[in-house]
Amino acid sequence: MRQFTLFLRLFNWFTVRMLKRHRWRVLTVLLGISLGAAVFTSVRLSIGASLDAFTRSMDLIAGKADWTVTHHGGRVPEEFVAPLLRAPGVAAASPILTAYVHPAEDRGSESGMEAPPFLLVGIDPILDRAVRSWGVEGGGPGRISGGTDLITDPGAILIGKPLAELLRLKTNDRLPLERLRSAQKFRVAGELTTEGLGLAEGGKIAVADIATLQEFTGLIGVVDRIDILLKPTATKQDVERIRSLLPPGVVLERPSEARESGKMMIRSYRLNLSVLSFVSLFVGMFLVYSLIALNARARRRELAILRSIGATPRMIFLLFLTEGGLFGVFGWLAALPISTFMVRRLLSGISGAISHLFVRVSIDRLNLDPWEIALSLAATTGISALAAYQPAREAMRASPREAIDAEGGDGAERTSPRRLAALGALLIASVWPISRAPSPPELPLPGYIATFLLFSGFSLLSPWCLQFVGTRVPPLLRRIQGEPAYLAGRYVRDAGTRTAISVGALITAMALFTALATMVHSFRKTVDNWANESISGDLFIRHQMSETNQYRDPLPEEVVRKLIEIRGRGGVDILPYRRIPLRFGGHPYHYEALDMDVFRRRSRFLFVRGDAARALEKLARGEGVLASEVFASKTGLGVGDRYRAVVEGVAIDLPIVGIARDYRTQGGVVWHSLRALEALTGKREWTGARMFLSGSTEQERSAATENLRSELIRDCAERYPVAVTTGKDLRGEIMRIFDETFAVTTVLLLIALLVAALGITTTLTLLVIERKRQLNTLAAIGAGRNQLRSMILWESLLMVGVGEAVGLACGFALSYILIFVINRQSFGWTFIYSTDWSSVLMSLPLILLTALVAAIPAIRLVLGYSPAMALKE
Amino acid sequence: MMMLGCMGRTAILMLALFVMGWWLGEPAVSRAEDPDYPRITGPCNCHFPKDHGPHPDYKTEWWYYTGNLKSVDGRRFGFQLTFFRSRVLPPGAEASWPDPKSAWRAPQVILAHAALTDIDGKRFLHAEEMARAALGMAGASIEPATGAVDIFVKDWRVRITPETHELRAAADDFGLDLDALPERPPVLHGDAGYSLKGSTPERSSCYYSFTRLKTTGDIILNGEALPVTGESWMDHEFSSAPLEPGIAGWNWWSIQLANGSDLMIYLLRKSDGTFHPASGGTLVDARGKAVHLGADDVRAEATGSWKSPHSGAVYPERWKIFIHPKAGDKELSLTVAPNLQDQEMRTPGTTGVTYWEGSISVEGSMNDAPVKGVGYMELTGYEKAFDAPM
Repeated sequence: MRQFTLFLRLFNWFTVRMLKRHRWRVLTVLLGISLGAAVFTSVRLSIGASLDAFTRSMDLIAGKADWTVTHHGGRVPEEFVAPLLRAPGVAAASPILTAYVHPAEDRGSESGMEAPPFLLVGIDPILDRAVRSWGVEGGGPGRISGGTDLITDPGAILIGKPLAELLRLKTNDRLPLERLRSAQKFRVAGELTTEGLGLAEGGKIAVADIATLQEFTGLIGVVDRIDILLKPTATKQDVERIRSLLPPGVVLERPSEARESGKMMIRSYRLNLSVLSFVSLFVGMFLVYSLIALNARARRRELAILRSIGATPRMIFLLFLTEGGLFGVFGWLAALPISTFMVRRLLSGISGAISHLFVRVSIDRLNLDPWEIALSLAATTGISALAAYQPAREAMRASPREAIDAEGGDGAERTSPRRLAALGALLIASVWPISRAPSPPELPLPGYIATFLLFSGFSLLSPWCLQFVGTRVPPLLRRIQGEPAYLAGRYVRDAGTRTAISVGALITAMALFTALATMVHSFRKTVDNWANESISGDLFIRHQMSETNQYRDPLPEEVVRKLIEIRGRGGVDILPYRRIPLRFGGHPYHYEALDMDVFRRRSRFLFVRGDAARALEKLARGEGVLASEVFASKTGLGVGDRYRAVVEGVAIDLPIVGIARDYRTQGGVVWHSLRALEALTGKREWTGARMFLSGSTEQERSAATENLRSELIRDCAERYPVAVTTGKDLRGEIMRIFDETFAVTTVLLLIALLVAALGITTTLTLLVIERKRQLNTLAAIGAGRNQLRSMILWESLLMVGVGEAVGLACGFALSYILIFVINRQSFGWTFIYSTDWSSVLMSLPLILLTALVAAIPAIRLVLGYSPAMALKE
Repeated sequence: MMMLGCMGRTAILMLALFVMGWWLGEPAVSRAEDPDYPRITGPCNCHFPKDHGPHPDYKTEWWYYTGNLKSVDGRRFGFQLTFFRSRVLPPGAEASWPDPKSAWRAPQVILAHAALTDIDGKRFLHAEEMARAALGMAGASIEPATGAVDIFVKDWRVRITPETHELRAAADDFGLDLDALPERPPVLHGDAGYSLKGSTPERSSCYYSFTRLKTTGDIILNGEALPVTGESWMDHEFSSAPLEPGIAGWNWWSIQLANGSDLMIYLLRKSDGTFHPASGGTLVDARGKAVHLGADDVRAEATGSWKSPHSGAVYPERWKIFIHPKAGDKELSLTVAPNLQDQEMRTPGTTGVTYWEGSISVEGSMNDAPVKGVGYMELTGYEKAFDAPM
C-alpha cells in the first residue's frame, strides 16, 4: 500500500506536472489517439449494427424452423406442403414467399417523401403460427384482428409499425403497390406488434396471406421455401424420410445456412475495415511513443536523481507505462463524442456498402455492444501502453551515477542500423512466401501477416536509410547549400532511433496512402474497363426490383414478346439473359445464361485464365461454362474442373473452360449458353436483355437509343414493373456504387493521414525543442538565425524525404499484397494493376510542406530563447 | 341446485363457433347474424348417409367423437377427437377472387382437437391441428357414389362409411387409430334434428348423434400401440346462427348407462349466473327411443370442485343430476365423478381457449333400479367468461 501511495505521489510530481507544463503537446497526442480510437470504434459499431440487423432479420424471418425446404435457383412447388405436413416427425410446416415491393409513385408523393422498397412476406397465417412469432396490435399472438381479413380479403396486408410511420399509414388505409400487370391497392388490415416478424427488416415489412402474394407477384403454385419444425421425438430417419419426399433440385437444409454465409461475408468486411481503421490507432501509437521517448530522454538526469533517492527501476518503468496507458484511457474518453459524431455518418455509408457488396441490410437501431466498447478501450489503452513500453524500459535503466554526470546521457541502447536493416530486409523477404500461404475462408490472415511484416521490415530499414542519407548526402549538401545543410545531414546521420521512430510513422502513413490509392485506382479502372467491355449495350431492360429480389423474377411474357418483335424489325441486336441465384456447397453465386452468339459479336469477357477463343467456342456450343474469378476463388474450381449444378430442376455437368473478371456480386457468376439452358429446360424465360443499336454515327445511335427507350417505356415500363435503362446510365450507376462503397475507405485513409501528420508535426517540434541547448550553443558561437533555420529545415526535409521514399517503396509492395492477396482472399477478385501517379505525386510535396511548416513554430520557439540562459542551464 | 332451461346441445357448437371465432380475431358470438349464409329455421329433413357429410354453405359444422375404452390388460382410457369445419366467407364471395387465383384461396378452414385420458396412468394428453381446406392439407367431402365421408386435417382423419367410423390422429405424444361401429341408428335431437338454440327460430342448428358406437382399435402411447375396446359417442351438427349474447359458459354431459340408456344434457350459463332457457337434453332408452328434455326436466347440483394448477380455473367436477321428464315416466338420479381431475384443455399457442373436457363415471338409480355408466363432461367459461357482446 505504501509503495502504491508513493507511486501515486511520484506520478503526480514527476509525470502530471510535466504534462501540465506541456499542455499543447499532450493535447496533440490525445487528439491523435482519440481520432484513431474514434475511427476504430465507430467503424466496428457501424458494421456491428449491420451484422446485428442482418442476423436479427434472418432469425426473425426464419423463426423457429429446424429445417427448410428450398430449391436453389428456383422456387418450391406448393404441393409439397401437404405431404410435409403429414410426414412423420413433422410438427409444423409453413411455406413462405417474399418479395421486395415498391409503393406506387402516388404514395410517395402523398406522404411527401420518397417511398422506399420494403419486404412483403406471404405466409399462411394458420400454418405459420407454430413457426414464427408475430401478432397484430389489438389482437393476440398470431391472431388476426379484423376477422378473416388476411385469408378472405385478397388485398389485405399487415404492416410493421416503422413502415406505417414512414408511409403515414393507419388501419384501413389503402397502399398502392406495383404488380405484374397493374398497380394494386392493398388495404392495411392492421399493424404488426413489435415482436417476431414485426421486427424483421427493422419493422419495414408487411405480411400478406400467401395466396395474396402469389396472385400479386404472379407466382402461382410456388413458394420460396417451406420451413419445418420437427417434433421433439423426430429421428434421423424421419429427416431422411422428409428428404425422400423431395424431387431433384429441391433440398432440405438448415435455415442457418443462408444466414451463416451472409454473416461470414459481413464479418469478412468488418475485418477488412477494422484493420484499415486500426491503422489510425497504429499511427497514433507512434505519437505516444515519440512523446514519451523524448520525455524520457530529456529527463534522464531527473530519472537518475529519482533512482539515487530510492526509486526502484520497476517504479520508473511503471511511471512511463502508466503515462502511456493514461494517454490511451483519456484518448479513448475523448474519442467517445467523436465516435458518436462519426458513427452517425458512417452508418449509412457502411450499411450501403454492405447492401451493395453482400446482403441487403436495413438498420433500425445502433447497439452499444459492451464487448465492442471494451474492445475499443482495451485496444486504445493497450496500444498506448505498448508505445510506452520501449521508452519505459530505457528509462528504468537510468543509473544513479548519471545524476552527477555533467554530460548526462540519453541512455538509449545503440543497436547497429545495419543489424536493424538486415532484420528488416529479412522480414521484407518473408512477405511474399507468407502471403501465398493458404488462408481460412473469408479471412485473409496470410495477407494481414504479410502486411504487418512489410510495415515492420520497412520501419526497421529507416535508421539505416537515415544513416545512409546522413553519410552520403551532406558533402553534396555542403556544396549546394553550405554548412547548415551539411550539419543537418550530419544530425540525421547521428540521431539514430530518435528520428527513426517518427520516420517510421511517416513510412506507415505514406505506405498506406500509396497502397490504398493504388488499389482503389486499379479497382476503379478495372471496374470501368469491365463495365465497358462486359456490361456493354445501349439499352438494358430488366425487372424493376431484380437486384433486390435476387433476379428471381423473369421478365413478363408480354415484354419478351415485345423484345422479339423489336429484334424482328432489324437494326437492333438483343442479348437476352437468364440469371438465377444458386449455391455451390454453402456458397451463394449467380448462374447466368447468355445468348452467346450476340455476346460474342457485341461484348467481351475479361479473361483471367483460359484460352479466350477456344473457351468462347465451347461456350457458344453449350459444351462448357465460364466461371468468374470470384466463383473460382471461393470454390477452388479452375479451368478444366467440372461444374455441377441443378438449374431449374435440370442437372448440368460441364467443364469450366475459362475464368473471367466480374465485379457484380461477391459470390461470383457462372456463365452458360442461354440456348443450351432453354434446350435443357424447355422453357424460355428471360431475366433481362441488353440491346445494341446500329448506326453509322454516334449521334445516329444515340437518337435510335432514345427512340427505342421511349417505345419500351410506353409499351412495357408503363404497364409492367420493368426498368429500362440506357447503358450509359447503368455504367454510371455501377461507378457511383463503386465510389460510394469506397467513400468509407477514403475517409478512413484521410483520418490515418491526419493522425500521421499530427505525428510528424509533434515529433519535429519535439526534436527541435529537445536540441535547445545544442542550437543555442551554435548561436553562441556565431551561427546566424537564418543558418539555424536553414539547418532545421534541411533536417526536416531529409527526414521527410527518407520517410516518403521508403514509404513509397513500402506502399507499392503493399499495393501488390492488397490487390493480389488480400482482395483475393477476402472477396475473391483481383484487378489490373495501375498506379495512381497523380495522387501519389501530389501527396509527396504536400506531406513535405506539412512537415516543413510544422518545424517553423518550433524554430521560432527555440530562437526566442536567450542563448546565454540556455547555456547557463 | 341449478335450474335449467331448454334447448339442444348448443354447448359444443358454441365452443366450435367460439374457437374459430377466436382464432379469426373476433368472437363469433359477437356477430349479428350474417344474412349471406343460409339459415336453419325449420325441419332439417336429414337423409343418411348424405347428411353425415359436410354442409359447406353453413358457417360452422362439427363431427365430435368421445369415448371410454379399455386395453386388454384392463387399463382405462378416455378419448376425444373433434373435427370442426368453418366457412370463412359467405357463399358466392369466391366470385370476387382474383383471376388467376392461388390454390391457397379456400373458403373453408378445418380444425381438430384430440385428447387422451390415461385414467390409470393419471395422465391427460391433448393436441390440436388446423389448416385451410386447400392443397390437400385439410378438407371435408363426401363421395356421392358410396356415401363415404372424409374429414381430415393434415394426417388426422375421420372416415364415415355406412358400416363404420374410422378415426385416426397422431399427436406428438399419443395417437388414436380406432374403428367405431354404430350399434344404434342416429338419434335426431330437438324436433327431428331441428335444434332450437335461442330465443328466435333462426338461432338453431341441425343436430344428431350416434350415442353408442362399439369401438375397437389402438391407442398409441409412448410409441407403443395398445389394443383397446369400448364405447364411443358421436355428434354431428351444423348451423350458421351466431350464439346468443350474454352466455358466460356451459356444462355438457354425454352418458352411456350400463342398462342401455343414453343421456345428453347441457347447461348454458349466463353472465348473471342463471341459465339460459335454451338448454336441455335427450334421453334415449335401451330400445333407442329418444325423449327430448326441456329445462324443467333437468336439475343439476355441483357437489365438488377442482382448481386447475395450470390456469387457476375452478371447475365444478362432481355433480348430482336429476332427470324427471314431463313427457315420460322415467326418473333418473346420477352422481357424476371425473375419472381424472386434470383433464383441462389448454391451447395457448393456437386458440387460447381453456376448458375442461374429460372422461367421467356415473352411478345412481333409474326408476329406483341401481345404474352405472361412463361418459364425457365438458365445462367451459370457468377460466374466464366468454365475452359475447352483441
